[in-house]
Amino acid sequence: MSDGMNRRKFLRVLGASGGGAVALSGCSTDSVEKLIPYLVPNEDQIPGIATYYASTCRDCPAGCGVHVRVREGRAVKVEGNPDHPINRGKLCARAQASLQGTYNPDRITGPMARNAAGELEPITWDEAIARVAERLGAADGSKVWFITGNEGGSFDQLVNEWLRALGSSGRMVFEPFGYEAVRYANRQVFGVDAIPAYQFADAEYILSFGADFLETWVSPVEYARGFSAAHGYRDGAMGRYVHIEPRMSMTAMSADEWIAPAPRSEGLIALAMAQVILSEGLGRPPRDAGRLRGVLDDYAPEDVAVRADVSAEIIRRLAGEFAARPSIALPGGMGTQHTDAHGTAAAVNILNYVAGNVGRTIVFGADVQAGGRSSYASIEAFVTAAAAGDVEVLFVHGANPAFATPSAGGRFGAAQQSAGFNVSFARFEDETTAAADLVLPDHDPYEQWNDYEPRAGIHSLVQPVMQPVFDTRQTGDVLIEVARRVGGRMVQGFVPARNDGTYKDYLQERWRELQRERRDRRPFDTFWREALQRGGIWSEAPRSTVRLAPSASEITPPAAGAAPEGQFTLIAYPSLALYDGRAANRPWLQELPDPVTKMTWGTWLEIHPDTAERLGLAEGDLVEITTGDGASLTVPAYLYPGLRHDVVAMPLGQGHTRYGRYATDRGVNAYGLLNQDPTAFGGVSHYQTVTLRPTGDHEYLAKTEGKRRQLGRGIAQAVTLAAMQQGEGHPFHIQHAAAVPEREERVLDDVAEAQKEATRYGPYAYDETKWGMAIDLSKCTGCSACVAACSAENNVPFVGEDQVRRGREMHWIRIERYFEGGQDGEPLETRFVPMLCQQCGNAPCEPVCPVFAAYRTPDGLNAQVYNRCVGTRYCSNNCPYKVRYFNWYDMSTPNDPDTFAWPEPMHWLLNPDVTVRSRGVMEKCTFCVQRIRGAQHEARLSGVPLADGDVVVACQQTCPADAIVFGNLNDPTSRVARTAADARGYHVLGGLNTKPSVTYLMKVRNVEEA
Amino acid sequence: MPKWVGPVATTGGAIVLGAIVLFTGSEALRPQEQEQAAVQAFEAPVDVDTARLDGPRQPIFYRHDVHAGQYEIDCRYCHSYAEISTSPGLPTVASCMGCHLIVGTGNPEVQKLRDANARGEPIEWIEIHRLPQFVHFPHNLHVVKGELACQECHGEIERMPQVYQFASLKMGWCISCHERSTYTDNPERQVSTDCTACHY
Repeated sequence: MSDGMNRRKFLRVLGASGGGAVALSGCSTDSVEKLIPYLVPNEDQIPGIATYYASTCRDCPAGCGVHVRVREGRAVKVEGNPDHPINRGKLCARAQASLQGTYNPDRITGPMARNAAGELEPITWDEAIARVAERLGAADGSKVWFITGNEGGSFDQLVNEWLRALGSSGRMVFEPFGYEAVRYANRQVFGVDAIPAYQFADAEYILSFGADFLETWVSPVEYARGFSAAHGYRDGAMGRYVHIEPRMSMTAMSADEWIAPAPRSEGLIALAMAQVILSEGLGRPPRDAGRLRGVLDDYAPEDVAVRADVSAEIIRRLAGEFAARPSIALPGGMGTQHTDAHGTAAAVNILNYVAGNVGRTIVFGADVQAGGRSSYASIEAFVTAAAAGDVEVLFVHGANPAFATPSAGGRFGAAQQSAGFNVSFARFEDETTAAADLVLPDHDPYEQWNDYEPRAGIHSLVQPVMQPVFDTRQTGDVLIEVARRVGGRMVQGFVPARNDGTYKDYLQERWRELQRERRDRRPFDTFWREALQRGGIWSEAPRSTVRLAPSASEITPPAAGAAPEGQFTLIAYPSLALYDGRAANRPWLQELPDPVTKMTWGTWLEIHPDTAERLGLAEGDLVEITTGDGASLTVPAYLYPGLRHDVVAMPLGQGHTRYGRYATDRGVNAYGLLNQDPTAFGGVSHYQTVTLRPTGDHEYLAKTEGKRRQLGRGIAQAVTLAAMQQGEGHPFHIQHAAAVPEREERVLDDVAEAQKEATRYGPYAYDETKWGMAIDLSKCTGCSACVAACSAENNVPFVGEDQVRRGREMHWIRIERYFEGGQDGEPLETRFVPMLCQQCGNAPCEPVCPVFAAYRTPDGLNAQVYNRCVGTRYCSNNCPYKVRYFNWYDMSTPNDPDTFAWPEPMHWLLNPDVTVRSRGVMEKCTFCVQRIRGAQHEARLSGVPLADGDVVVACQQTCPADAIVFGNLNDPTSRVARTAADARGYHVLGGLNTKPSVTYLMKVRNVEEA
Repeated sequence: MPKWVGPVATTGGAIVLGAIVLFTGSEALRPQEQEQAAVQAFEAPVDVDTARLDGPRQPIFYRHDVHAGQYEIDCRYCHSYAEISTSPGLPTVASCMGCHLIVGTGNPEVQKLRDANARGEPIEWIEIHRLPQFVHFPHNLHVVKGELACQECHGEIERMPQVYQFASLKMGWCISCHERSTYTDNPERQVSTDCTACHY
């Protein structure tokens, strides 16, 4: 930079010497900033101090409790509620990014109506409500339909009462994953229409028939916690997990064994296992299980081996293992989303029953809300009614069936057109809103009063944590107001309209009832306030005993069928980040690398490398996928060894035609390939027989994947359980992917020697504190919640698809995924390593920084001073872990709209405790130094010294598997020091003598030593 | 306890900066005289030459010399979070109206406040002491643990008809104090000069 004197600088100098020449002098900024105080003090808000409100995450049906951190009246971060029985303080990546829904720049800002030109234009709330009332007053009540998402609580009941007063029975619940097959099978086998509680923590053997319980299935955060307890290594013991599915999902990557049966044949394996358990008298089956003998006789392992493409020997072994220990078999995920899924789920039910798991690890009575009463068949019923002209008015709230149904919502969309009047309560303009005549945007969940019952016994409250961002209105209040305007029977038959109250009053009335049910005699206000502070009320999950239903012996025999020669079975699975597509408008989630493929911002087709070679496909080659019905989509290929040769897979969630700037026209909608006809159990089949044709075009994939193999670097190390048990107290055999070549070993030793010489001045003095971390790879599931949590805490911008292609993504913590084996008949194994700044004690980045922006703090942090950094990028070049990220563009100002990460009002979620970095600055993880300093300030002010566990970093706080431990390494009693001293501990690239402060604990694999 | 309102024992920063404070025609007082001045009741001048005042012209000619000087209102009465939060807080319009519902109704500047209150609009003050966002300055620590008087950083606010930036707020100025406090024997007052004490 030149030393020249510009005009502004000249004036400033003049101001200092001449006195009073300019109004503003001295300070480092040139712009005038305003200080605007509140008009009236807000007793909840003190500037500079965060307030936390308990609420409930509504981004998926799991219903996790959250604490929302509010600064200066705006929500800035979402954390798990440690008291909440579902998630116990943990959250997934989608919840961590949920504020990007609240502050989404593409939210509908106020009520709108379609004008004569067919365009939506803003109107007032008063007018909007009058229009609905007018329409309803003239409509035939029985021809009014109302579609909601999965609501389990007061709003659900309000809608039902409202429709009843109207004389309508057209209520539908639409949740794309309704778990219809599981509920069907539970009805058939146990006579119960419910989803039970799956108690992972009580199981020592987990067998998943396709259930992606660590990603999207039912309640992933809760299950990850249970799975971590059951399968994490502790004191020489751990559970065993076997996954059976044609595709290796992220969940399956944590399995000790992955078995890839023929598509749709999982049920056969389950029945064969049950047959072995019964006929060989393994375990202690319940007495009435004998009734099943007749059914199971046809399913000896030898009978199903060929159809399932799994040897009888394996099935017998699995049966023996399964019956020998407390176990759990899970019917779910894509295993229960195909045409024979009800048979599969029933077969798994029988297996669980025969093994004595029902009532032990699978507990009925808790009635998990997950799928609600949702059924794809009800959407089909609506389509039929619409075709018959029986739909006068259609209301849609919290659902997007015009996107998330087969044919990419085409059939629903057409039916919607034939409805006389379409009213939408959507928060975002989506495919379903496209047909709306009137849009009455609902509050975001963080702006409204509500409740949700994730399962029996848990009543979770939703409370507004801040003022609404836009001119939206809570749908409950809109419905009550509409009823008042319609008058007559709508007021007589609808209590909330008759009373002079709001939706909140209605909600509180229901909670008064709850209080009475619980025989709580305190004043209601006390009860209510306590519930609000806790996030809700919960009691022990009720248990009910189930027995085999008479219909159990009539289960549909699971069929199995590979696709015909030359064709493939396509599996369209829900995305970890985007779920069914509802999260596609959150840029953090768009850029969250898929844990399996490391892909961002798009759609891809997973195809086995051998198959790809046969078809002449390389990575990124475009493939045209065509179904028997002639539907076709073109997507780039991603070569993935975790698939059967006859199976291809692609994620759902992309391909929105209308869902805001981040989601629209991105990737393709895999729903477009699925069969429109509901399955026998009323669900959608996510399996489809397709043909593939390379188009000859190519696309450079926007993925963050580096090398797939470790190449002897020992980054992700693992050890077998047997070795751990034998090697107690002894150095044990470390499983390297391959031996380090001799020459490289020599080089590494030389480097280490030279580095040791360089540290002859002695290590930097850590008097009291040396912050450090330990990560247990036997617990890490790769779920990437830490990545999203870090972005939210540290104002990490997203960079967009193009920049990802150039390798410029900025996640301070990333999940590295390496493959092992999978060649020459060896089983494929996957390892995850959360990679973040290792806070090296002898950091290669520090000596190369010409301006001392990278340096070591006395408490052991590898600090990065953003305001000192001049952007030479030497540090990043010298970092062996590649954990430093450069701001190539100014993500923080609107100067460059292509890379601007925080368009209004998205910038409201920025953490005010963390610098927003500008262009030309290197940034990185510093163990959430703002939280460390905050806790230290707090300790100093209160006079109570910091205790172990007082500083919790963002990734650690959210980790559903509790794999991350953080604390003071210099305190030998701290949890992190004890964990880091574990025999499994190792440093990544420790041979470089970088002396990392992050210790990884080897993954432990519960497999037989090869 | 911090000395909230009162003379500053350090050197006359106002002179160092070359800024001139105008009150009762005198130049900045020497320390000894300052102490005497504090004992005697201070009377803010009725008329000030606003054109010659330092600092930006605010939407309301709010006079710290009248409120904090003449009437000796404690700084924390309006900046009520200085001891408990990183931010000292600004008085809300409602706080001002606590007195000005009755007091000073004839004053045209007070009338501006009352009008804003009637309209339900906050006052948009111009920020004077502004730190860049990469610096984190917790007021509570400095005031409570550092036992610093407000005046040590903000100057003799209680003598300012219009507030101007007294200290440079540049890093060297921060460090000059932090360095002194690093080597003190009193552990309660020891502070860090580490970059990440403020920059993160």
